[in-house]
Amino acid sequence: MENNYRFRTNILRVLVYLILTILLIITIVPIWLLLVNATRSTTEIQQGISILPSVHLVENYRILLSKGIDMFKGFRNSFFVAGASTLVTVYFSLLTAYGIVIYDFKGKKIISNFIIVLVMIPMQLSIIGFFQYMSKLGLTDNYASLILPLIANASGVFFGKQYLESMIIHDLIDAARIDGASELGIFHRIMFPMAVPGAVTLGIFAFVASWNNFFNAFILISSFEKYTLPMLVKTLRGDVYRTEYGAIYLGLAITIVPILIVYAIFSRYIVNGISLGAVKE
Amino acid sequence: MRFRIKRDYYGYLFIAPFIIGFLIFGLYPVYNTFSLSFTDTTLMSKTSEFVGLKNYIRLFADDFFMKAVKNTWLLWTLNFIPQVGIALLLSVWFTSTRLRIKAVGVWRAIYYLPNLLMPAAIARLFFGLFSFYGPVNQFMVQTGLIGEAMHFLQDIAVTQGLVVFIQWWMWFGQTIIILMAGMTAIPIHLYEAAMVDGATSLQMFRRITLPLLKPILIYIFVTSLVGGMQMFDIPYMLTDGRGSPVSSIMTNNVLMYMKFSSSKGHIGAASSVGVLIFIMTTIIALGIFYFLRERN
Repeated sequence: MENNYRFRTNILRVLVYLILTILLIITIVPIWLLLVNATRSTTEIQQGISILPSVHLVENYRILLSKGIDMFKGFRNSFFVAGASTLVTVYFSLLTAYGIVIYDFKGKKIISNFIIVLVMIPMQLSIIGFFQYMSKLGLTDNYASLILPLIANASGVFFGKQYLESMIIHDLIDAARIDGASELGIFHRIMFPMAVPGAVTLGIFAFVASWNNFFNAFILISSFEKYTLPMLVKTLRGDVYRTEYGAIYLGLAITIVPILIVYAIFSRYIVNGISLGAVKE
Repeated sequence: MRFRIKRDYYGYLFIAPFIIGFLIFGLYPVYNTFSLSFTDTTLMSKTSEFVGLKNYIRLFADDFFMKAVKNTWLLWTLNFIPQVGIALLLSVWFTSTRLRIKAVGVWRAIYYLPNLLMPAAIARLFFGLFSFYGPVNQFMVQTGLIGEAMHFLQDIAVTQGLVVFIQWWMWFGQTIIILMAGMTAIPIHLYEAAMVDGATSLQMFRRITLPLLKPILIYIFVTSLVGGMQMFDIPYMLTDGRGSPVSSIMTNNVLMYMKFSSSKGHIGAASSVGVLIFIMTTIIALGIFYFLRERN
């Protein structure tokens, strides 16, 4: 009886590992092919599939440049927008969340519920009205139109609220007040250093979201020298590049490699962040 | 305690930037989109006129709008069901004390990876992989799975299936992480008690895990639905940006963008698409959220 149970558990375990491995292959193969093909010449790619990299990385980059695609510039543009978006999101989300968690003001409950509702509203669908309004203000083709709206980032505040509620800081705050600290000073000097893990997690999500954001940038940014990486990817979709397989794969690889590096370093923060954002006690 | 009471008005100061930011960058654009949808505004003309419901009547007059709505629901549903199904299965395995799967964190971290990658680049990648001279054709011809190379992206079923697959591929890992967070929050003594009573693992899953996961499942459902109704990057980048073949992957947002980028830049008409999808999604998302939550 006992042996039988153990035997069936082992069979089941083998089956589970088999399925996990199949899913692992499905997950990795497209990404692997992308990275490998970025180093192979168009001729090599046409000849067949390879799982090993080749030596044409630099050549592929030259082809991209010669066809007018400066991935490095796109990289800098994306990095600037994503960096600024991250700072704005982290600072203002934690500021708002702190206000809601720490103070008992009238209307606190309403604001709190309102933010949850905002998370569930498809705000992106007002992009046309946003675009027209920005063009009236002269802010189209300007990164400000991508960055400033993040001052009111509902999911960021929601996350910040979950995070701050899990830290008990009321006593520390009262102690700082007795020492004569100002309210904003407490936020900057006491709360922020303590909330660094949460800020990092929130920052990673903000960075990735901005880095990958195609739709808004596509509608709001128009001049070629301001193109972010996803917009350059869109450009790579054009007929001029149709037969430059190696160069195209390289262009795509450049957009995902930084994210792979960030993930390799911070995966623990990211996984914990997803759990924290979803689970309410 | 005295200090806290005295300084509570500071709360308004802390939330003021959010409120102001929301009014300027959130609420006003929504209002502006609604009001544009009742006009014939284009990107070219300086003047515009109030045309009442004309944009909306036009939307329902041609088949495109209904087709976009149907496509979006189809593509979202077909991705969501296997996404949650597989994620539930894997979460149960990963948390199982009987199986004791090794390196759960590593498996999970890898499954989640596609979610972080740029959707535009992923769609362009799959376009390359499934193109006529692409690796998938090469592989299938070499191994004799198909006689000769196929035009995958000219086939409606294959193209729709590919969008569904990419969405599933990008999201099942995230769903596992969320579900596991919910499962580990379930008190272990419930399972112990059930085991003493001789419950099978399937019974425990149905009577304990699923009911207690309900709030988490609602969260996954609502956030996925809201995201799915705004699906753009993948269907836009996978084929010609107009939902080819035969508009089969033309989603709500792809249609909205088509109106926006038409030669005249008819933003009045584009707004009406945004408004209708906005209303539809908001009602369903909030409805599900409150209806299911109150009853619990």
